[in-house]
Amino acid sequence: MLKKLSLPKIRKLGFKYQLIAPSIIILLIIGLFPLVYTLVVSFQGITMMDNDTSFHGIKNYVAIADDTRFWGALFHTVMFTVIALPIELFLGLFMAQLFIEKLPGRQIFIALLVLPVVVAPIVSGATWSLLLDNRFGPINQIINWFMGEELTLLWTINPTLVYPAIFLAEVWQWTPFMFLLLLAALSAVDKAQLEAAAIDGASYWMIFTKITLPSIWPVMAVAILIRGLDLFRLFDIVWALTKGGPGTMTETISTFTYVKGFQQFETSYTGAVALLIIIILSFVVIGALRKVELSR
Amino acid sequence: MADLRISGLHKYYGSMHAVKGIDLEIPSGEFTVLVGQSGCGKSTLLRTIAGLEEIDQGTVQISGQTVNDLAPKDRDIAMVFQNYALYPYMKIFDNIAFGLRARKVEKTEINKKVDHVSKMLSIDHLLDRYPRQLSGGQLQRVAIGRAIVREARIYLFDEPLSNLDAQLRDEMRGEIKRLHKELGKTMIYVTHDQIEAMTMADRIVLIRDGKIEQQGTPSDLYDRPKTKYVAGFLGSPSMNFITARVVTQGLGYGLILENTAAQLKMPENVSQRIGEYLGSNILIGIRPEHFSLNNESKPEDSGTTIEVSIDLVQPTGARTYVSFKIGQVTAVAELNPRDIRQNESNLTLNVDVNRCVLINKDTEFSI
Amino acid sequence: MNAKLKKNFKTGLRLAGAVVLTILFLFPIYWLFMISFKTADEIYAYPPVWWPESLQFSNYAVLFKDGDAATVGNSLIVAGTSTVFAMILGTTCAYSIVRFKTGGDHLANWIISQRMIPPIAIVFPVFILYVWFGLVDTYFGLILLYTAFNLPYVIWMMRGYILDIPISLEHAALVDGYTRWQVLWKVIFPMCRAGLFATAIFTFVFAWNDFIFALVLTRTEVATYTVQVTHYFGGQSNFWGKISAMSVLGTLPIFFIVAFMQKYLVRGISLGAVKG
Repeated sequence: MLKKLSLPKIRKLGFKYQLIAPSIIILLIIGLFPLVYTLVVSFQGITMMDNDTSFHGIKNYVAIADDTRFWGALFHTVMFTVIALPIELFLGLFMAQLFIEKLPGRQIFIALLVLPVVVAPIVSGATWSLLLDNRFGPINQIINWFMGEELTLLWTINPTLVYPAIFLAEVWQWTPFMFLLLLAALSAVDKAQLEAAAIDGASYWMIFTKITLPSIWPVMAVAILIRGLDLFRLFDIVWALTKGGPGTMTETISTFTYVKGFQQFETSYTGAVALLIIIILSFVVIGALRKVELSR
Repeated sequence: MADLRISGLHKYYGSMHAVKGIDLEIPSGEFTVLVGQSGCGKSTLLRTIAGLEEIDQGTVQISGQTVNDLAPKDRDIAMVFQNYALYPYMKIFDNIAFGLRARKVEKTEINKKVDHVSKMLSIDHLLDRYPRQLSGGQLQRVAIGRAIVREARIYLFDEPLSNLDAQLRDEMRGEIKRLHKELGKTMIYVTHDQIEAMTMADRIVLIRDGKIEQQGTPSDLYDRPKTKYVAGFLGSPSMNFITARVVTQGLGYGLILENTAAQLKMPENVSQRIGEYLGSNILIGIRPEHFSLNNESKPEDSGTTIEVSIDLVQPTGARTYVSFKIGQVTAVAELNPRDIRQNESNLTLNVDVNRCVLINKDTEFSI
Repeated sequence: MNAKLKKNFKTGLRLAGAVVLTILFLFPIYWLFMISFKTADEIYAYPPVWWPESLQFSNYAVLFKDGDAATVGNSLIVAGTSTVFAMILGTTCAYSIVRFKTGGDHLANWIISQRMIPPIAIVFPVFILYVWFGLVDTYFGLILLYTAFNLPYVIWMMRGYILDIPISLEHAALVDGYTRWQVLWKVIFPMCRAGLFATAIFTFVFAWNDFIFALVLTRTEVATYTVQVTHYFGGQSNFWGKISAMSVLGTLPIFFIVAFMQKYLVRGISLGAVKG
């Protein structure tokens, strides 16, 4: 078969590329350039003191392997993700169950509950540092009422309290996100299926696990993916509450990279770290996208 | 002169070969129906004519001019879409005027034309409304109005009635036919509904699997189908096909229906054609209406009757459909309701052997 | 009767749960807003003041007098401008991807994967790039970055909305005599008006709420309100009044916007996975 390029084909070809060209160019500048630059610089020896652009091989990567601070940051990041995510998920699911049926003022409740999601994360971090302030914050005051004694809990300084402090802020801000998505998913569950199961005599638990859960799973998976990736780059809340402290106890990958790159100016080392993060995340994302089928 | 000439047309979607070499001429002013099962390529063919699909091979000519490389807007065609394709954010007036505005028609002229067309289709009272405020039938009229207001050379209809309920469909069929008479334009109409094809077409083009199976007037295709597929596609309920062995009978030939004792005597003109099949099996196609009740045995009926036992009787008012087994095959006969008495289990039916279709079992071409 | 009573009781219980949850989730916001209206004495009172004596605006007055409030204006300029760019470029790009399958699945997947890269990994080399070209602490630099950062989101979302448009509408316009560009303008844009609007709002909010890009790429000239908030955190003491007032200035507009966006919220935050 001969496929000759006819006039409208060429014109159309032009049209479709005219449409995407500006976007692709910008994405290449801001998306691809950093990748290439990071790759190059990560094999050099640039620091604050020394603008050494000679080839250093994998020196920086070897240094990362030995850097306990980096592994600590990675560990904290993973820990925040695997703890906060299930809490947000279950709390969100519980709240969605609460609002799935008719309730007076339902729309108003939902509209109000959603507000934390749209607050800037840095502002919610700031808000929680107000709330958790050892002396002027209301949280300690409430705890004192319940305990009946004067406690001055140093939330952002005490090593055992600093993690709960971050979880509080994180869970407060993002549980409504889960709630909203799961509520939408639950509303879309086929009522006829639920009624049929009830008529067949299935228990509440059976209905939930055999019908409800499978049918909301696609949405749940997307929600987990989006939140998981967000948590993996957690920065603002930690920055506002602890700046990674006390010491490096709450340092995440993002705050660690920031400190290395913009406070200690370890340019090449930071490049290697950034590239490593991108590589790790690429695998996670590719794997997750395959499973979740965001595009459907 | 032909208004539209298509030659050697091929269309691929990736590895799928949707249109496999179509040659077609459509004379000026004719109402042509492209009919076939869904996925047969008829809509693709129509959209290729419109310029909405690129041509991979072959040519499309409108009034002698090759239009392969012309954009849809330069082909002087108008089209009615299956889902109406009305713009929900525009009032009905603007929907109808949309194409005229594209062509920079003067404002007073637009008003005049929209007014004329909307009166013709009795939608003039709806011009100020939005599409969502209209019923399906009204939307359909607007969609047609939007096309005919353009005064194009060729009008294309892509399954325009398939979203309407049965009653509206009947009404709109008549309406479109009337428009064709009034306007006298070339119209090409795609449908999967063989009733629409039969009732509306000057000419039917039956498409199967990307190729033209047969084309001609409705009665050409109905009475003289070239293949088993055509015979089975047209008519509702569809034709009964029964395997039969060709035997000698008297001076001519007869057919013994498979798994039965029934033997049908073929008339002389048919006999000539089946002689070469003597002793082998062919298919006989009998339309439901070609059965009739044998009330009293007349000598001239001998050799063209069969005895059947009734499986199911389905009255529809005007006609009654009776299902029965001929050998292993379930067949349907269309009878006069008065002919069927209650609790009757056996019938003797006449077969109109002059109008039966005989088909070569291997090639599926008619004999 | 018994069943009805039981049902009412259940609804009552759920209502109580809803009220408690709402109070818990709104309390931090209440506290933030309330502090901004307190006097310094009330802010630094022990035990804390739960309800200020009177609403007073001195915390805000200071922000406006010192010119700090201009950072909200910076946020508006960068978020607004980058939203306009991202919407125009992203929508046309999405249209090309949907209608002509430009670049196939690979391009679409590459674009959405851009969204997944952590900002910290992007901002570091971009900072170096900006230093070379003198774009640090300029509107242009920040607008360019936000446009790029939001493009994948816009493309992804608008792709979904454009997919919802029946193709026959475009075909009808083409047959009626319009060019491809005219179809884009006269059919596609009007058809996804609601989607455009909703996506633009989210794009705006993402840029508006961003902290890390602004932290790295601004100094003083174009610092946004999120960066300004963190300037009030001192080594030893924090300026609670300024923190809260600045936060409220940045948060209140978002609340108003979102109030009108309820219908599109779910689709917007789920990257279009839930049509809501």
